[in-house]
Amino acid sequence: MKAKKMMALLLTAAMGMSALTGCGGGNGKESEEGKGADKKGKDVVTALLPPVSATYQDKITEYVKAFNEEHPDVEIEVTTASWEDTTQKLDVQVNAGSPPDIAFIGSDGVTKYLDMGMAVDISQYLSEEQMKDFDENVLGYFKNGDGLYGLPAYCEVQCIGGNREFLEKAGIDWKSVQQNGWTYDEFREAIKKGVVEENGATKTYGFLFACSGVTAKDYFSIFVKNAGFPSPFNEDLKYTYTDPKMVDFLEDLRAMIDDGSMPKELGAIDAGKRWNMMLTGQTMITGKGLSSFERSAANNNEMLKNGDADAVEGSIPVDYIVLPVPVFEGGTQNAYGAVDGYICLTGEKKPDEEHLKNVAEAAYYLASAERAAETCQELYLKPICESGRTAYEALPPIENKNEDNTKTVESLTKQIVPARPDIPAELGAKAIKIEDEVIVPKFQGLLAGEVTPEEMHQAIVDAAKEVFGEDGYVAE
Amino acid sequence: MKKKLKKDTMWAYVFILVPLCTFTIFTLYPVVSAAITSFQEYKPMGSEWVGLDNYVHTLKNDLFYKALWNTFVYAIITVPVSMLLSFSISIMILPYRKKIQTVFKAAYYLPAIASGVALSFVWKWIYDPMSTGLLNSVLGAFGVPNQNWLGSGNTAMASLIIMAVFAGLGQNVIIYTAALLGVDSTYYEAADIDGATFWQKVRYIVWPLVKPTTVFLAITGVINGLQSFQNAYLMTGGGPDNATTMAGLLIFNRAFKYFEYGEACAQALLLAAIIAVFSIFQFRLNSADVEY
Repeated sequence: MKAKKMMALLLTAAMGMSALTGCGGGNGKESEEGKGADKKGKDVVTALLPPVSATYQDKITEYVKAFNEEHPDVEIEVTTASWEDTTQKLDVQVNAGSPPDIAFIGSDGVTKYLDMGMAVDISQYLSEEQMKDFDENVLGYFKNGDGLYGLPAYCEVQCIGGNREFLEKAGIDWKSVQQNGWTYDEFREAIKKGVVEENGATKTYGFLFACSGVTAKDYFSIFVKNAGFPSPFNEDLKYTYTDPKMVDFLEDLRAMIDDGSMPKELGAIDAGKRWNMMLTGQTMITGKGLSSFERSAANNNEMLKNGDADAVEGSIPVDYIVLPVPVFEGGTQNAYGAVDGYICLTGEKKPDEEHLKNVAEAAYYLASAERAAETCQELYLKPICESGRTAYEALPPIENKNEDNTKTVESLTKQIVPARPDIPAELGAKAIKIEDEVIVPKFQGLLAGEVTPEEMHQAIVDAAKEVFGEDGYVAE
Repeated sequence: MKKKLKKDTMWAYVFILVPLCTFTIFTLYPVVSAAITSFQEYKPMGSEWVGLDNYVHTLKNDLFYKALWNTFVYAIITVPVSMLLSFSISIMILPYRKKIQTVFKAAYYLPAIASGVALSFVWKWIYDPMSTGLLNSVLGAFGVPNQNWLGSGNTAMASLIIMAVFAGLGQNVIIYTAALLGVDSTYYEAADIDGATFWQKVRYIVWPLVKPTTVFLAITGVINGLQSFQNAYLMTGGGPDNATTMAGLLIFNRAFKYFEYGEACAQALLLAAIIAVFSIFQFRLNSADVEY
């Protein structure tokens, strides 16, 4: 009887323990060693890195090995994860007060971590030469106030892209558009010409942007830059999206759907679906467009040519053409740049100055020279640091790269909206919240034809009034 | 005898201790911790005490009320429709042999074992807004124009409800079938002798005898419905124009998008209180003439 009870107790305890085991996780090693603790006498710098490019996570082992050999007292310890997991893991670690020293994020996340007091100002640990290596406007995306909280890896111009054959059929001089840009009116007329009807239904749309769920944010954010709203705040730090000219911009976006140039179901088309529609000839122009889409289209063309079953079902050969976003009335030609890079973080265990210096050094190493060159080449981008550009020249060139696209991307990179490090983190966080909770939901309603431009504008004004106060936003 | 009793009592406490520890660590501690956090502005490097600010802010937020309304609509439609359908299916599969019953039960239960993400892919194809979408192509055959199922405020909530009803049907079918098998066949025999019709048997025998199961399914269904998060998160992200933003999604965004854990905890506790009140009310309303 006693043995039975003991057995039952052991089994119950084992069950309880097995449930508790899950709480341990992969951080056990870190908690034993502590942040920056010695490992064989070395200062350990931890980094959490996503698959920045197709082969980045494979190459990172070589990069880290080379760094560790160059720096006998320092060791970079890398944790790799998928893009989704990286964000999730980072947020969990940050909220637990023990983030990695370096993490790869979009620069729009800097204010979030800064607001939580977790971002480290590395400007004091980097040399002037190291900071000057980066293009100033791009480096600014990792600045806030006087502080520098990370280093950029690349700047990806987010624009639109077209099918060369369809553009030419519609009589659009795409080379001229690449060089000189286009106005909203010119764009609107062009996409009208791109519409192909067959048996009373639309076979090909003139323009299509992924707008399902949060991707609607991209459509709004990328286009609004060319409508006289380069930033949500003006130089006096007043919120600008409340300006009445926002109504005109929203009317213009809605008009393209009402014209029949864009599908009325736009709000439910996700990024995968719209790329599928691009490759299957269901649209002439698509957004958002990235430089690397040229490679994606070329790969599919190759598969089609070889009769490969992996080619997208029903797809046609597509020669991808990079195009700038049109300029709306009252706006100027700008480009929206997604600047991603390496943020430096600290946690509850305050590291010493020596460790922070090593963190800054490791971040610079990852963001510069061959690492930058190889990553950018894979993404069809030009490096945004001098050392990266030098290394880029030494790399074997990409075969069959469309030179017109390359020149357009280079030119657009120069038109990137300047960073706004003067916007305090708290103010930036409030603007993001208005965007997520008011602008995106109302914009989805606008695309579905259930919210008018005036109603959306009024909702933005109401939210801004509540968040920034009567004097905190632009009324006229 | 007294010694044995004392020994047994000691063992009873030892056995109770293990689940008690698990309950304390995984349930009690998080609830207490959430209650404390709801009065703080949470920051990893040191939280600040803000009193009732998080609750005040939540109760002043229109989106919180909209999310609550959406959640109620979702739960109040999903639960009865799902129960009615599963009750009907269970009655229909009951006359079959055990093997055939198992086939039906397995078929209906299949979506319950599939991951939510995998299901969302299938439902996204069903709700594809273009003419290639399954539902649109079926409707198109009858001359109905394309519907923007998830992208329009008029259809997005209904689309999520339909998805929830079909995805959650299997569990209810299994529970109802088990309950129906527990009804003594002598009742049916007596009813047959009295000349009762099929509907009379359902109305006067089956329904009263499975009422405890119905109460259980209704209460747990409403609790799950009010906590719903996954479908809105995966299918619509809460849009368009917050037409499908549920309380669970709002709390998730507050905590994991904006790191406002204090306000998220306040919202979660308010939701828990609402669910508790709702469950007690439902329990009292439905269980008056139920014998367990």
